[in-house]
Amino acid sequence: MLLELIQGTEGGGLIIIQDSIHYSGRTLLMSFIKAALKRDEVVHLLAFELHEEELKHELGHSSLQRLKFHNAFHDPLGWNENPPFTVHQFITSELDSLLTSNQHSKPVTLVIDSFSFILRHLSPSAVCKTLQQLKKGGAVKTTLGLLHSDMHHRNMVGSMCHLATSVLTVAPGHQCHEAVAKTIRRAKSGKISQAVERFSISDDMTVKVQSKPVPVGSGQGEAGDAEVDPTANLTFNLRLSDQERQAKEKLALPFVFSKEKKSALLRPGPGSGRILYEPDANDDYDQEDPDDDLDI
Amino acid sequence: MAAPMKSMGSSFNATSFQKKTRSKLISIPGTRPSVQNGQLIVSTGVTSLDYLIGGGLAVGTVLLIEEDRYNSYSQMVLKYFMAEGVLCGHELFLASAQDHPDDILTELPAPILDDIASHSPMEGRMQLGGPHASQDAMKIAWRYQNLPKVQTALASSSRFGHYYDVSKKMEPEIRQAANCHAFYLPEHSAESSAPHSPLLESYSALLRSIQEVIRKGGFDGAAPPAKSRNVLRIGLPSLGSPLWGDDLCCRDNPAHGHALTTFLYGLRAVLRSSLSVAVLTIPSHLIQNRAVMGNITRLCDNAIALESFKGSDRETNPLYKDYHGLLHVRQMPRLNCLLTELPDHKDLAFKLKRKQFTIERLHLPPDLSETVSRVSRGELAGAAATGTSCGSSGNKHLDF
Repeated sequence: MLLELIQGTEGGGLIIIQDSIHYSGRTLLMSFIKAALKRDEVVHLLAFELHEEELKHELGHSSLQRLKFHNAFHDPLGWNENPPFTVHQFITSELDSLLTSNQHSKPVTLVIDSFSFILRHLSPSAVCKTLQQLKKGGAVKTTLGLLHSDMHHRNMVGSMCHLATSVLTVAPGHQCHEAVAKTIRRAKSGKISQAVERFSISDDMTVKVQSKPVPVGSGQGEAGDAEVDPTANLTFNLRLSDQERQAKEKLALPFVFSKEKKSALLRPGPGSGRILYEPDANDDYDQEDPDDDLDI
Repeated sequence: MAAPMKSMGSSFNATSFQKKTRSKLISIPGTRPSVQNGQLIVSTGVTSLDYLIGGGLAVGTVLLIEEDRYNSYSQMVLKYFMAEGVLCGHELFLASAQDHPDDILTELPAPILDDIASHSPMEGRMQLGGPHASQDAMKIAWRYQNLPKVQTALASSSRFGHYYDVSKKMEPEIRQAANCHAFYLPEHSAESSAPHSPLLESYSALLRSIQEVIRKGGFDGAAPPAKSRNVLRIGLPSLGSPLWGDDLCCRDNPAHGHALTTFLYGLRAVLRSSLSVAVLTIPSHLIQNRAVMGNITRLCDNAIALESFKGSDRETNPLYKDYHGLLHVRQMPRLNCLLTELPDHKDLAFKLKRKQFTIERLHLPPDLSETVSRVSRGELAGAAATGTSCGSSGNKHLDF
């Protein structure tokens, strides 16, 4: 599922890459950018945490030319005059004017590095509103961003992921070059699909998925195997050998009737349990009844 | 066991007998008086849920649904509620901050109008045709073969709600017959509320809009008695999410801590004096503050919580493989009586099938394995939350 997300076959929406201090998701973000550029899409990058030189180093000069780079690293809070891009410009009106500056009809991808920086300076409800409007409006096909999950409260991360169409959580894998990505995707119909995959990123930013996706919750199987066999370690024998088991099955049980008698009994007859009673004079004797010794 | 089936069948040959009542109860289509306390109740659209909350949702009350993690099943229940309103001819009011209400209304499930979806508890009786198969099924307890299986699906026998087919969408003609009022937050202009009011602008605009609709539609009894009365169904999906401008879900100490609770208080006051019912869903898994969640639950009348297995490690648990999630009943109202009617069973699980949203008692299947290794339910429920301590793994030795 990771490769499908990178190739953009699913139709966009809001994709959040959650990373932590143990493994940075920035290289994965770069591979997304590279794949989008390869597909000849218009890519806008709002770089709050990345310097232009570093980006050039990672992506390569030619890609950088085709990318619409907005330098938000130098002066994000607008302390000097004429800041290139500030964090307060992350509202729908400003973004719309930025994005509609191109007249091509190619799909637009907006990449944000990172959401964590924006969430520190703007209120979460404003950020969520902007993201929702970006998702609904037709200007941007895909919005993609990094979220550092250990920088925020768990609920903040949860609220952001509540809005997202796909959430990718990356963590370090067992080998040094590998990482594990857990993808959760919400389809339009409301169906949720998820996968856990091991991947590695090569030098030219292509992602290789190493193995088959591991289904979620496979760790439970091992816990179940370590069950204790209660028939072991006893002073008496509770197990059956094969011969004994056959003898047990051959044993005729009581109340086991032949097939005809069984079906006869099972058929809902008219009165299978009738009680025939003839009233007897002696049965009417009631010790409690005071009228019994009346002689009339 | 035979009784429920018979009465379901006899509702088809509707007798012409009508009980003559001189009661002052208003007769509105789609409602009936409750058998427990005489309140006027409407169906929630899910018959199992109706049975659980005592026959139906009382008019003038609020049902709170705590959302599951990915908000799939709670949205489904809300859609059932709206679809039921369309079929009964009630008026609808839908307010949303995320998706446009018209989009939500196009996704309502299609009703199954010709026949009630019959789930057959009498499967045993059908098997008489193959004597070999049926008698080998039970070797020792063969006398019980023909008795119906224990009916675990909760259902009452009277035909009050409708059944829906989730795979199909409701026809536009049926949907347009119902009058629907929509409130889409981004389209509402921001009117400033009083500066010191604890309510946020979005919530006060919503409350004002609801009051307006009730007043205009005559649901509060102001209409002349000649006009026939109707019930207003209010649906509020994902209230309290950041899109409403509330940071209750994002922070532990929210800036507007009392906005949502004030809104719920106002909503309940408006509902109590009018013929309306409200169902709202709240993403409670994002609200860490138990006190706030407790307040919100107290301010609503009925409260249930849905917990879906998707994405958690319970998904692969063999005990839960037949179900999609667990349902917890958090609160039931005491309307004009001293005691609530709580459901007997606390362990309920739900399953969304194509033609039905069933809520069943979670019961252990018979253990047919050779080894006596029966995993107890308490161990499972505890182990998921606290992790396997040595106490819970030690219990396995004591299984007989």
